[in-house]
Amino acid sequence: MSETVVKLTDVWKIFGARAEEAMAAVQSEGIGKPEVLEQFQCVVGVQSASFEVARGEIFCIMGLSGSGKSTLVRHVNRLIEPTAGSIEIMGSDVSAMSDAELRRVRAQQIGMVFQHMALMPHRSVRDNVAYPLEIRKVSKSKRWAISDHALGLVDLTGYEDRLPKELSGGMQQRVGIARALASDPEILLMDEPFSALDPLIRLQLQDQFKALVAQLQKTTLFITHDLDEAIRIGHRIAIMKDGVIVQIGTPEEIVMNPADDYVREFVQGISKLKLVKAHSIMQPMDSYKDSLDGAPRADHGADLDQLIDLAVTTEQPVVITDGSAEVGIVTKPRLLRGIQGGKDD
Amino acid sequence: MTDTATEMKVTAASDIEVDRDALDNSIREFAVENGDYYVGAFHKIHDATGILPNTFNTAAALFGPLWSASRAIWGMFWGFLILEIIAWVQIGRGAWGNPGADMTERALRQEARADQMLEKAAAATEQADIDRFEKLAANLKNTASKSFEKADAAQAEAFGIMLTGLILLLVFKLVQGFYANSVYEKQYSRWRIDPDSTESGRSTRNMGMGAILTAAIGPLIVYKFTVSGSLPVLDEFPEDSASAVFLGEGNGTLYATLAKWMEARIDAAAIAGGDVFDGIVAGVRTVLDALTLALNGSPWPVVMLVIAVTAWRAAGPRVAIFTVASMAYVAVLGYWATAMETVALVGASVILCVVFGIPLGIWFGKSRRAYRAAEPVLDLMQTLPAFVYLIPVIAFFGTGNPPGILATIIFGMPPVIRLTALGMRGVPESIKEAADAFGATRWQKLKDVEIPLALPSIMAGVNQTILMCLSMVVIISLIGGGGLGKDVLEALQYAAKGQGLLAGFSILFLAMVMDRIVQGAFRRDDQK
Repeated sequence: MSETVVKLTDVWKIFGARAEEAMAAVQSEGIGKPEVLEQFQCVVGVQSASFEVARGEIFCIMGLSGSGKSTLVRHVNRLIEPTAGSIEIMGSDVSAMSDAELRRVRAQQIGMVFQHMALMPHRSVRDNVAYPLEIRKVSKSKRWAISDHALGLVDLTGYEDRLPKELSGGMQQRVGIARALASDPEILLMDEPFSALDPLIRLQLQDQFKALVAQLQKTTLFITHDLDEAIRIGHRIAIMKDGVIVQIGTPEEIVMNPADDYVREFVQGISKLKLVKAHSIMQPMDSYKDSLDGAPRADHGADLDQLIDLAVTTEQPVVITDGSAEVGIVTKPRLLRGIQGGKDD
Repeated sequence: MTDTATEMKVTAASDIEVDRDALDNSIREFAVENGDYYVGAFHKIHDATGILPNTFNTAAALFGPLWSASRAIWGMFWGFLILEIIAWVQIGRGAWGNPGADMTERALRQEARADQMLEKAAAATEQADIDRFEKLAANLKNTASKSFEKADAAQAEAFGIMLTGLILLLVFKLVQGFYANSVYEKQYSRWRIDPDSTESGRSTRNMGMGAILTAAIGPLIVYKFTVSGSLPVLDEFPEDSASAVFLGEGNGTLYATLAKWMEARIDAAAIAGGDVFDGIVAGVRTVLDALTLALNGSPWPVVMLVIAVTAWRAAGPRVAIFTVASMAYVAVLGYWATAMETVALVGASVILCVVFGIPLGIWFGKSRRAYRAAEPVLDLMQTLPAFVYLIPVIAFFGTGNPPGILATIIFGMPPVIRLTALGMRGVPESIKEAADAFGATRWQKLKDVEIPLALPSIMAGVNQTILMCLSMVVIISLIGGGGLGKDVLEALQYAAKGQGLLAGFSILFLAMVMDRIVQGAFRRDDQK
């Protein structure tokens, strides 16, 4: 789980005819976004983005439209060339690759799912899923077998010979996921895959996707504009605003310690019950002077929901344990503040 | 001072007072000269609820177009300049023109003839001749005096014409006077929206321009229409003198020189590029010969069967029956061989259009710059009348079927190029991006994604190209193209109605059969 698969270091993307000049000016003089626009008529799409994604991790990139999240993720398979910075996939520099090498990496190591499915309307579901293999010149019998297997993973067995337009939106996106999985890539790039679907199907697909990725151990970069989705799916979340990554952290960290007002505004409406764990709100043992005999006990990984269930049965605080050791306590005022989102007393 | 933002009051519409000051200043700024007058006039217009004008602009009435020019109301300037000139022409005709001039002239001629007759009568010796000439002379005198009467009557009408002119002028002046302020107020409204490109105020430059235009147009027109037998230079453009300016005296007209020069250029180019043009003709001829061999070389029952089966498979039984009936019509009337020649001509043209048009369309679809450069050429190919480019086609490629095919291609190729480019541009960006993301090469992307997705549009282009090529069948017979078009052309030359109609119907059936088969095939493709 600790091996780094995708690594972005100080990646910049400046759009416009004079992007190079603008980049040089940014590096030497440190001018900001408005100055770049004014002096060079260039738009900064991504500003100094750095992060690492470990094997098997789902890394969500969350931001509103225009925040540069789609631009950022397209750097990973170099659909967009960075203006500056380096992108490494399993230790090899993407920017340094030749065209042929890049095509090989795209075909074998990176699967991508698009917001608008981008299925080929003239090909059957099976041939759509098999297309990445066809590009790699895999024999027809082999790629049909692989494609049928991939369709099985997303519960679409029986639809192989249909055309995409005969399927519902949710099913089409599952075809998209199957296509991304077909070449058994190391990395999945998900560009707002569920945004165009209605809420119920979205929930269903989120769960299905999470289970699938856990089973297949794919390293995933998942773009979304929906914080709920990011929290539900992601192991870690990066929040982007105007091309800048504002904060990177686990869902709990983001919700409990928003880096700035922008993030705080976002997380306000998020329910903390299932998200916040005991260890992030617990106080030291010695802060409680009275006897703890008979107090309820909970593991440090228990969430607020479980703590509330314990706390309502007694007047005493809940003792938090790590294995057999007692590591802290959660008092009722502390618990209530935790539900509010970790406001200081 | 009270805080106006917080003291916003809701007022009934009837209580709202018109705030004049801001408006007045704006009008003054617009009108500049005589600002106060226009403030008053515009207020009257703004307060009016009826449709009749309630102001009168004396300056506009007096100076007419000069006023509208000075205020840069050019539409009004041109309209009333023309109307006032018409009125002035009437006045001129009445005042110094000579409406009876024609009649007087005729009467004088008739009198002269009568005098001649009388002389002849005097010179004659036989009584019969004398009587005859005297009678003729008397008749001529009679008509002459009638002509004089008519001339006098026409002359008498001169006063009426002048009066009409004066009344017209008065009416135009009054209309300008009454409507000038309304028109100017419209200009003011436009100026408020777009002060940069709407002229305001009164400018000497505009007034000067108006005066020059009036002076240049008015007197010449009045002169031309009121004076009988005006200067010849006003009646006809002095082509010879103008040519002399460019070429020197006695060197012919510019037109003849230019035509001769172009002819020489074209001949020189035809000779210089002779091998290339011959090569093109040979290439086209190869395609045509292959098709002709297939259609006319094969036994006719085989060709008929193949066409009927194709129609059946492509477009269903109804089209097949229609096809068989059309072929029977053509064959029974003895047009079979010529009809197959036409099919070969159209087929060769379509094949060449498609072979060159689709790659060009793909290129133009991908490169916006190439498309921008090619678009005027495509427009030209479609809008230039076929007769015009038949001439260079003859010059470079000679006459006969292959040049006919080349002329057909010029006309028929644009649709397939355009619609291919359109289809290429219509391929969703996201699907192309997906192909890129899965590591497709440019060729793979083109063959697996772009062409299949653009195919409906490309096919529509091919269909249109077929129909365009068919419509050239008759025209290319003018430069020696064979087939049914030749029969129609011959019928046209000898006014042979029967032959022409029969051949014409053959072409019609041919076109309908081709169209139905092709459309049927495409429809089936779509449904797949």
